[in-house]
Amino acid sequence: MTMSPAIRKFALTVHITSSVGWIGAVIAFLAIVIAAMSSQDTQTLRAAWYAMGLVGSFVIVPLAVASLFSGILMSLGTKWGLFQHYWVLISLILTLFATLILLGNIQTVNAFATIAAKMDDADVIMLRAGLEGELLHAGIGLVVVVVIQAMNVYKPRGLTAFGWRNQQKQTRLPQA
Amino acid sequence: MSPTQDVVNRRSSYRTPSWVKIMGIIVLVLILLIGATHLAGSGHGPGSHLPSASVTEATSSSIEHGMHQP
Repeated sequence: MTMSPAIRKFALTVHITSSVGWIGAVIAFLAIVIAAMSSQDTQTLRAAWYAMGLVGSFVIVPLAVASLFSGILMSLGTKWGLFQHYWVLISLILTLFATLILLGNIQTVNAFATIAAKMDDADVIMLRAGLEGELLHAGIGLVVVVVIQAMNVYKPRGLTAFGWRNQQKQTRLPQA
Repeated sequence: MSPTQDVVNRRSSYRTPSWVKIMGIIVLVLILLIGATHLAGSGHGPGSHLPSASVTEATSSSIEHGMHQP
């Protein structure tokens, strides 16, 4: 299956926009976490959890899902294929892994945001406990999405065993 | 074996690229490190960082109804 140039360019635009947007949104999320960690103000902590819930649920998750599906579409609709080249396969595995961890973690963030909205000021300070976990999740997440982005730009050489067998078949075909 | 034959033989066998092997080792080490960290500490998963039960119980009804504006 090969996409027409118009559809390929559209899918590529969606893929680049969502992937780069994902990186930017994770950096914004990290900025909120660090601001909350370095503040002793209860209102800042309350607002930070609420902001993390919003950015996570309505920006990071949609961008991650869009990046995953547009990436699959791009690889299936171009010469690269989904399982032929290592850089495509590893990008897919890492994106899938990052998205699944994100979907799990966003439940924790939303639970904290809900609790923060209802808590008394005296108790809100207890919500600082969850910030280290968010720093870890967002930090590792940022490294993973940057690695994926770098692989998508550099496209390091290397066929998978499946891709190699396909290439061997294609080179033998003209001789048959 | 002539040099040309040697090149042909090498191309006819499949080899995993070295960057994939290096990346695999790095990922394996990271997974082991993260796994060891979590085994040493408490369990991990959605909700594992939440505050104690007494705090969450007081607001459990609000969790069920989604996120609210502070």
